[in-house]
Amino acid sequence: MHTTPVLNTSTEQLPASSPESDVVLRTVGLTRRYGKITAVDNLDLIVKRGQVFGFLGPNGSGKTTTIGMVLGLLRPTGGHVELFGIDTRRDLTSPLRRVGSVLEGASAYPHLSGRDNLRVWAMIAGGVPDGRIDEMLSLVGLASRARSKSRTYSLGMRQRLAIAAALLIDPDFIVMDEPTNGLDPAGMREIRQLIRELGAMGKTIFVSSHLLGEVEHMCDHVAILKSGKLLMQGEVGSLIAQGTALELQTTDADRAEAVLASLEFVKSVTREGVRLVVETSGDHAVDVSRALAQQDIYLSELRPRQSTLEDVFLEVTGES
Amino acid sequence: MTGLLRAELLKMLKRWMPYVLFLLMLIGAATIIWLFGYVSYRDEGEIEFHATALRTFVYPYSVPALLDSGQFWGAAFFVAILATSTVATEHNWGTVRPALVGGVSRARYLLTKLITLTLVSIVALLIVFGFGVLMSLWASNAEGIAVPAPHPEGFSVGDLLIMILRTAFCMIPYGLLAFALTVITRSTAVGIAATMGYMTLEGIIVALLSTGGDIFQDSRYLFLGHSVTVLMAENRFQDLDFNTIAFRDLGSPDQPGIWTATGIIVAQSAAFLAAAFAVFLRRDITVSHG
Repeated sequence: MHTTPVLNTSTEQLPASSPESDVVLRTVGLTRRYGKITAVDNLDLIVKRGQVFGFLGPNGSGKTTTIGMVLGLLRPTGGHVELFGIDTRRDLTSPLRRVGSVLEGASAYPHLSGRDNLRVWAMIAGGVPDGRIDEMLSLVGLASRARSKSRTYSLGMRQRLAIAAALLIDPDFIVMDEPTNGLDPAGMREIRQLIRELGAMGKTIFVSSHLLGEVEHMCDHVAILKSGKLLMQGEVGSLIAQGTALELQTTDADRAEAVLASLEFVKSVTREGVRLVVETSGDHAVDVSRALAQQDIYLSELRPRQSTLEDVFLEVTGES
Repeated sequence: MTGLLRAELLKMLKRWMPYVLFLLMLIGAATIIWLFGYVSYRDEGEIEFHATALRTFVYPYSVPALLDSGQFWGAAFFVAILATSTVATEHNWGTVRPALVGGVSRARYLLTKLITLTLVSIVALLIVFGFGVLMSLWASNAEGIAVPAPHPEGFSVGDLLIMILRTAFCMIPYGLLAFALTVITRSTAVGIAATMGYMTLEGIIVALLSTGGDIFQDSRYLFLGHSVTVLMAENRFQDLDFNTIAFRDLGSPDQPGIWTATGIIVAQSAAFLAAAFAVFLRRDITVSHG
């Protein structure tokens, strides 16, 4: 249906990061092997300030491993990570003080209340202003349960507590690994809403997910990973636009198909019953209409068929 | 470091486990004085055992008895269990990850755990010791013995401090053994079982090795208990015995010198510490381990 919009992701084309640049995260040839299995293979990623960056991939594609290496929990077999322009092989702790993270399987001290959990994280981080804990509890909707032990929290509440903990230090960069995993639809909606709000506040967010609709709604940039390899990365809008198709019905479908197939900007023409689906490399509705009219073929219907991120994902991962 | 230390203390002191261990230690101290000392003294028929029981509860002779049992059970129960639980639960709860990704270096994280463990152990065990001394004064009074009981060489505060420091020093390697085992295995069960099993068995193994040839006798130096016994024996007043729950023979003539024993303890402690840090600084931190 769509052609694969392959983006060149070689490091030569990625802007170099430095403490002054707007590149928040850069991975260069990041690789992790477990014995003979390559979990992450020569990954070059770039996330710029202010982006809400979706990190997509099927389960087991290497997303969590990548995040583990970005945050210094896992040692890369090859390549390296730069956070805020700082090579984390040389200095991991100072850039991490500007990062808030919500890791898979929200972690909390079960014997402590929600507030005490945040007190612990605030003490560890240092420099958290008074009142910030209550502010964060309110933000994530846990103020009324702040005194309850976290062992009594639902998974969704623990996830929200983890988000509150990540935001305590007012981080410049927020990393979230499958933040909606295990949540019910209402909980998922809340988290999505929160991420959108954080994005609107100008935070740089890196969120991994295997839920395509979720990423499409939350993120403005996306990278797609499969079997540890980066298949593509770019702006969500442009990735979807690259797959723009026109759906049309004409007075002579056979001739129209031949005419359209000969046009330079047409990638493919397929028939779906009496309709033709024309995949183009951009917005060419007027050109299509003109070309057909010049051959005395007239449109009875013409409408754009907007592809979704799911279409793009299935196309690039070869699962369509 | 201060914030991290405060966080560690908050986490530890809001758990019930340290208080249960503390209560068990108090019960242990009372048991030494009243059951092993006072009750044994009143029941014993043999004059030799009669005197041993008396020295177990009458102050200041009770001090070596309290410290000897305290070193053994304090290290095995309080320090080892606290150390393993403090480290392993962080892995089980997955809370080690957010701490490390929050910009705390691994070395600082582990060092703070060790400092917290040391501080809590010192405070708790000193209170237990003080409680034991109070019990000793009470038991002495109950038996109508004036305290402090006459001591031929005198007994100063300085002597008491040295005895306490010597005892604390002998707890360190077992605490570090438990700490290292738990850091490496990330398992509370392994940390506790291995440390307590080791402490219980090493006395028996050392005694068995003592009956063998040179190689067997020399191999006793590998066991902490062989060196710890030398230092704990130094706490005694004039080599006099007392009742204890520690599995060791303080009167064994065939032991290393004090400085050799001290060196062995320092070397083994350093090895445990190095192993814990070497593993933790390099390992992958994943979701959870049982």
